[in-house]
Amino acid sequence: MREGGLMADSANEERLVHELQRELERELDRPLDDAELQRIKELVRAQLEAELRAKQRRSEREKEQEEYFVRFSLNVCLQHLVLAIGVILLTITGLPIKFHDSAWAEFIFRHIWSLEINRIIHRVGASLLMFVTVWHIGWLMTREGRRELRELLPRVKDLWDFIANVKFMLGLSSERPKFGRYSYSEKFEYWALVWGTAVMVPSGLMLWFHRIALAYLPKYIFDVALQAHSGEALLAILALITWHMYHAHLNPEVFPMNMTIFTGKISKKRMIEEHPLEYEQIMRERAEAERP
Amino acid sequence: MRQLLALGMVLISLGLGSELSYGQRDPNARCLLECHGKSDFKREVAPGQFKSLYVNYEQFKTSVHKDKLCIDCHTDVTAIPHQRRPEQIHCLQCHYQGNVVGAPVSERPEKYKESVHGNAFARGDPNAPDCKHCHTVHSVRAPTDPLSPVYRANIPKTCGSCHIEIYTEYLESVHGQALRNNILESAVCSDCHREHDLFPPDDPRSSLHPQNVANTCARCHADVKIMERRGVPVKQVEAFKRSFHGIAIEFGILRSANCISCHDYHNILSSRDPRSPIYPLNLATTCGQCHPNAGQNVARGRFHIIPSDPDAGIVFWVYEFYRWLTMVMTAGFIFYIVLDLYGRWRHARRGAHG
Repeated sequence: MREGGLMADSANEERLVHELQRELERELDRPLDDAELQRIKELVRAQLEAELRAKQRRSEREKEQEEYFVRFSLNVCLQHLVLAIGVILLTITGLPIKFHDSAWAEFIFRHIWSLEINRIIHRVGASLLMFVTVWHIGWLMTREGRRELRELLPRVKDLWDFIANVKFMLGLSSERPKFGRYSYSEKFEYWALVWGTAVMVPSGLMLWFHRIALAYLPKYIFDVALQAHSGEALLAILALITWHMYHAHLNPEVFPMNMTIFTGKISKKRMIEEHPLEYEQIMRERAEAERP
Repeated sequence: MRQLLALGMVLISLGLGSELSYGQRDPNARCLLECHGKSDFKREVAPGQFKSLYVNYEQFKTSVHKDKLCIDCHTDVTAIPHQRRPEQIHCLQCHYQGNVVGAPVSERPEKYKESVHGNAFARGDPNAPDCKHCHTVHSVRAPTDPLSPVYRANIPKTCGSCHIEIYTEYLESVHGQALRNNILESAVCSDCHREHDLFPPDDPRSSLHPQNVANTCARCHADVKIMERRGVPVKQVEAFKRSFHGIAIEFGILRSANCISCHDYHNILSSRDPRSPIYPLNLATTCGQCHPNAGQNVARGRFHIIPSDPDAGIVFWVYEFYRWLTMVMTAGFIFYIVLDLYGRWRHARRGAHG
């Protein structure tokens, strides 16, 4: 196809040169000399080559978008979406309570929304987080969930991958470690989220339903819960705006935003680069499936 | 003979002078000699009912106004004896801001007019106090003078002359007890209620409006020197402001607890006193005012804790754990990101060079 295109182009080139030559001769009313003819030929060739390159780039991009793998199911994408909305609501209403002394918190509470509204929004966010937690636990029971959980379990390989990756980044080794379906950084973030939810949800529920909890729990448990809620919240937010922001947004590979978690799709190119072991496995499985 | 008579008059007047505490040359003598200096000088205001018009000049001469003339205040008296009853005078005729004569004045006397007392007085409440009820009439003394009714040690008694029940409650409290033991830095009525700008607690200008209570207590209870002298913890107010109750109050949820919700007000007692609402065994009832399920559990744990303070016990350790974890993790994240960017840059450059 490409060969044909090139041949067609060389024919095209001669035709274009002839046309230009005829036109110029008619206008100047004299035959063109060799140098002038040569110049026209060069210009036409450069123009055609540029057009060809642009066309190739376009087709490559199209191909890249065309050849994709489904990385996340719709279920997973929706879980992430609900979680993200919940966490954003919790963050924007939790931070001004934690930093109630600051001028910006005061500005928010006095001019944007009242503390009463803040409390309601925080509890809406908390409900979304708890809802998605229950949803996720239910999903982990399904075939898909069990398979994903197996992939997410930390392994010794993750530690070696981490060390190898650091070496690679420092230039001590020339080869990048090959990641499977989930790299160590993705696993780390998943388990950090599990840990964070395990701290935030019980402590938050205790504070939310303190009227009931007061009947059963001593005061110091509330104090500990409040402090843990506050401390873990800040840790989680800092992790989100460094680790998550970098891996999902600011990283040059995906900048400005990695859309995989919203569309569920990942391009073949990124699949090969970021999850080579998974790619190889999928290819093997496909080959086996195609074999009679 | 004439000389003898003159001598006799001088002697009499000298004798009178020594007896009467004012000299013939005192310009006020004209008011006192015939009328207001006599202890039985009175006026019949109703049949059989008399009002004393006697002025104790000895006391007047020890007052802050000792150098003033009677007519400095009673300005409508132009002839002696006066023909009409002089008009009621008011302290504000001199004690207003901007008086060039220089009557010592702050904005406070003006504020009296808007206070609960001033409002009641303006409404014509016969029990409402005017300046003279606290400061007296002719024997006004400086607040620093131990004989003044507005001297710190005398303030509760002065207010108590009308607010008798509150006075007895106050005398039982830690503040009242301390004052009775001559600890003058103990809180008296005016420390919390203020003296002239005394508003009802639902008025945002009041020192005892829910949003102002903590700051009012803080005037002493956040003062390290006073609290150290008295052996009272000093961080209570700060800890309160950081608590949920404090944050809620600060941003307008007025039903949230403030200091007096738990500590009571006129009869504040030590937590070691079984009558106190903050005595450990009473805490369930005290917290129960707002939190109906509160039981003896609320007494298990420290109160007024600041997480960053080692006194907070286990909460301090949770705080420290998260402080270090957050610092280490965040530093690690940032370090990793920088490393990752560096690695990508290195390989991109090498790639570009073939």
